[in-house]
Amino acid sequence: MHGTTPGKGDATQETCGWRRFSATFAGVFAGGLAVIYLLILLIDPYRSVPFSLPMERPIVSISQRYMYPQIVRSGRYDGVVVGSSTARLIDPEILNPGFGRRFANLSMDSMTAWEQQQLVSLYLREVGAPKALIVGLDTVWCAQNADRVRITPAGFPEWLYDTSRWNDLLYLLNSATLEIAGRLAANKLGLYRERLRADGFGVFVPPEEQYDLKRAQGHIWQGRAREIVPQEPAVVLSEAERKELRFPALAYLEDMLAALPSGTEVVLAFMPVHVAAQPVPGTRGAAIEAECKARITAIGKSRNAVVADWRIPTGITTKDTNYWDNLHYRLPIAHRIASDLAGPIRAGRETDGSFRILSSPQR
Amino acid sequence: MLFQSQIFILIFLPAALSLYYAVAGSAAARQWVLIGASLFFYGWWDARFLPLLVGQVTITWLLALLHERIGARWPLMLGVVLNLASLGTFKYAEFLILNVEAVTGLTLPRTEIVLPIGISFFSFQLISYLVDRMRGDAPIYPYRPFALFVTVFPHLIAGPIVRHNELIPQFALDPRRDGLAQRFGIGFVIFTVGFAKKVLLADKLAPIADGLFQRAGQATLTFAESWNAALAFTFQLFLDFSAYTEMAIGIALMFGLILPENFRRPYLATSLRDFWRRWHISLSNFLRDYLYIPLGGSRSGPARFVLATLVTMFLCGLWHGAGWNFIIWGLWHGVGLLTCHAWQKLGRPMPAVAGWAVTILFVIVGWVMFRALDFDTARNVLTAMASPAMGGSFAGGGLIVASALVSALVPSAHEIRARLEAMTPQPWFAAAAASLSIYCILEVGRGAPVNFIYFQF
Repeated sequence: MHGTTPGKGDATQETCGWRRFSATFAGVFAGGLAVIYLLILLIDPYRSVPFSLPMERPIVSISQRYMYPQIVRSGRYDGVVVGSSTARLIDPEILNPGFGRRFANLSMDSMTAWEQQQLVSLYLREVGAPKALIVGLDTVWCAQNADRVRITPAGFPEWLYDTSRWNDLLYLLNSATLEIAGRLAANKLGLYRERLRADGFGVFVPPEEQYDLKRAQGHIWQGRAREIVPQEPAVVLSEAERKELRFPALAYLEDMLAALPSGTEVVLAFMPVHVAAQPVPGTRGAAIEAECKARITAIGKSRNAVVADWRIPTGITTKDTNYWDNLHYRLPIAHRIASDLAGPIRAGRETDGSFRILSSPQR
Repeated sequence: MLFQSQIFILIFLPAALSLYYAVAGSAAARQWVLIGASLFFYGWWDARFLPLLVGQVTITWLLALLHERIGARWPLMLGVVLNLASLGTFKYAEFLILNVEAVTGLTLPRTEIVLPIGISFFSFQLISYLVDRMRGDAPIYPYRPFALFVTVFPHLIAGPIVRHNELIPQFALDPRRDGLAQRFGIGFVIFTVGFAKKVLLADKLAPIADGLFQRAGQATLTFAESWNAALAFTFQLFLDFSAYTEMAIGIALMFGLILPENFRRPYLATSLRDFWRRWHISLSNFLRDYLYIPLGGSRSGPARFVLATLVTMFLCGLWHGAGWNFIIWGLWHGVGLLTCHAWQKLGRPMPAVAGWAVTILFVIVGWVMFRALDFDTARNVLTAMASPAMGGSFAGGGLIVASALVSALVPSAHEIRARLEAMTPQPWFAAAAASLSIYCILEVGRGAPVNFIYFQF
C-alpha cells in the first residue's frame, strides 16, 4: 500500500530508517552500558559489591585509595601500618615476626591525616580492633590547614570507606574501574601480574642497582646549598605563642586512638625524611614542629603508645646516600626501620641514636 | 544536576522522557510533567532557590495579566524593575557594596547572598517578554505554557536565551508528531557531540587553565606558559559553553522542541562583528533587540552609535558577572567593535586570513581579562604573552591542537541537524555515536562532574 504513492513511500522508508537509527543508538548505548556494568559487578575489582562473588582478588592496581579497603575487608591482617609514602616501604614481613602479628601496610602516597583516620575507622567497622597499629607520622599531622584540606587533589573515594556497601554501586560505572576489572580478569588468565602484594606492600622506588647519587642529590637539595646552617639565635616560642598554635589533625589522631581498645599496641613513629626536608634548626618552623611533636607525644603517652622519632638529624637523615630524594629513603634503610620497629622501638629502647624514643608505654 | 552526569543521563532524562511520552496525548499533562521535571532539575542544586524562580515567573505573568486587564503600562514597568531588582540583589549587591567601600573607605554590612544558578538567563527571558508586551509584540499566554517557557530544563540554567514566541507555540505540538524517530536520532547525536566536547576536551583543558591562571596571580609566567594559559582557556570556554548548548538542543529535540542556535564556529570569524554574529548568538540577539537598537543603534548618528555600542558591551560584560574584569572585557569588545566598524567603513577589506588573525588575537586577549580574577593576574599573563624572550614550557599541546581542530571543524548544532536531516540514516553511525557516548559516560564516572563555566553567569 505504501508503495503506491512515491512521496509517501519515501517518507515511510525515511521514517523506518530513522527508527532503525534511533533504536540502534538506544540499543548500543543501553546494551553496552548494561554489559559493562554487569562485568564490573561480577568481577567486583574493589570487593565492594554487596553480593560479591567469592574469589581471590589480587591487587592489580596501585590506586591505593581504591584498592586498600578490600585488604581491610579480607580480615586476614591483625596489624596495620598507615602513613604517607614515607611509610610505604615498611615491609610487613619484617614486622610480623617481631610483633607476632600479620601486618598489612596500608600507607598511601600523600595520605592525609583525615584519610588515615578513615582507613582505621573502616578497619574497626569491618574487622574489629587491630591488635597492632603503626602510624608513620609526617608533616600532614602538623599541618595548620589539615581540617580544611582533608584530601589530596587526587580525591578520596569516601563511598568505599562508609558504612554502606549498597551506595558503592553508584560509583562503579567508570573507565578506571573497568580497567581494573579488565586487569583482574587478565590476571585470572595469567596475562597480568599483581601490582601490590596481598598485604598492600609494594616497592615504589627504582631497583637499587639504578641508584645514582648525583641524580639523587639533585632531588634532595633541589638546587639549594648542600648544608644545613642552624639559625642563630634560635626562635623560642613564648608560652602564649605555643598555646595559639593549632594542629587540627591531632584531633583526628586523638579520635583514631580513642576508638581503639587498650589491648591494641600502638606505635607512633616520625618517619626519617632527609634533613633537607626537615625545618632548619633554630627557625620558627622548627619551633612549631617541636611543639607539634610535643603534643603528639602527649597524645601517645595518654594512650600508652610508643612514640619514636626518626625525623631528626642523624646518621640516617644527614647522609645523601640513604635517599632517592629528600622524602624517600632507600630499601636498606627501609629494612632497618622495619627491624627497629619490630625490635627496640616496640620495646621502647633507643639504640644507635638514629631515632629517639619520645614516649614508651608503662607496662 | 549536570547534563553530563551519570545521574542525569541514566536516570533523570530517561525518567522524564518516559513520563512525558506516557502522557503525551494531553497537552496539559505533558506540560505539567515537563514543569515538574524542570523544577526538580533546578531544585537538585539548591531547593532554596525554587521559590525565587517560581516567584519571578508567577509575578511577571500576573503583572502582564494586570496590564492586559487595565491597559496601563505601569504593571509591565514594575515587572521589569522587579526582575532587575532580583538580578541586582542576588548578583550585583555584593559587588556594589565592595565598590562603595573602596570609594568611601566605609565598612558596610555584607549580604552573604548566594547566587542562584541561572538567574541571569531566566531574568532576561522574563524581561524580554515584558518589553515585548510594551511593544505590543507579545500576547497573554496561559500560565502553564508561560511557566514552562521560562523553566523548561534544557535551557533553564545557561540558555540559549529563548524568546517566548520561539518556544511557547511549540508546546502545543504533539511530540509524537511525524518525525519523532528522526528527532530522537538527531537529538542523540547532537547530545553526544556536546557530551564528548565537554568531557573529553573542555574538562581536560580546565586544570591547565586553572593552574596557570592561579599561578599568574602569585608569580610571573613565562611566554610559553602565558600562551598556554590563554589558549587553554580560550578553547575551554568555547568547548564548555557550546557543549552545553548542544546538549540542551539535543535534549530539547527529544522532547519535540527546537531551541535556537547559540554558536556558529566563532573562532573562524574574520572580523569582530562576525565573531559576535557567531558567539553566544541568543545573548547577542537579546542585547541587539532590547538594548542596542533602543539606544539608537547605528542609525541615529555617530555619537549615538558609539554610545549605544559602548553601553551595550559594558552591560554585556556586567551580565557575565559582578566584577571589573567582566566590565573591562565588555568595553574591550565595545572598542573593538567600533574600530572594526570604522575600518569596514574605510572600504579597504582586509584579506580573510589577516582578518581572522587580528580577530582571534583580539578575542584571546579579551578572554585573558575575562578569566583573570584581578587586574594583576591579567597584566601578568598579557605581559608574558608579549615577551617571547622568556621561553618556558607548554603543557597539553596535543589537547589544545585537538581542541582547536574540533572548534574549527565540528559544525554547530543546527548545522549538524540540517546535515543529518539531509542524509540517509545509517545504523553504523548510530552505533558509533552511541559508543562515543558510552566512552564519555565511563570517563565522567571517574570523578565528580565538572560544572559548566556559564552556570556562574
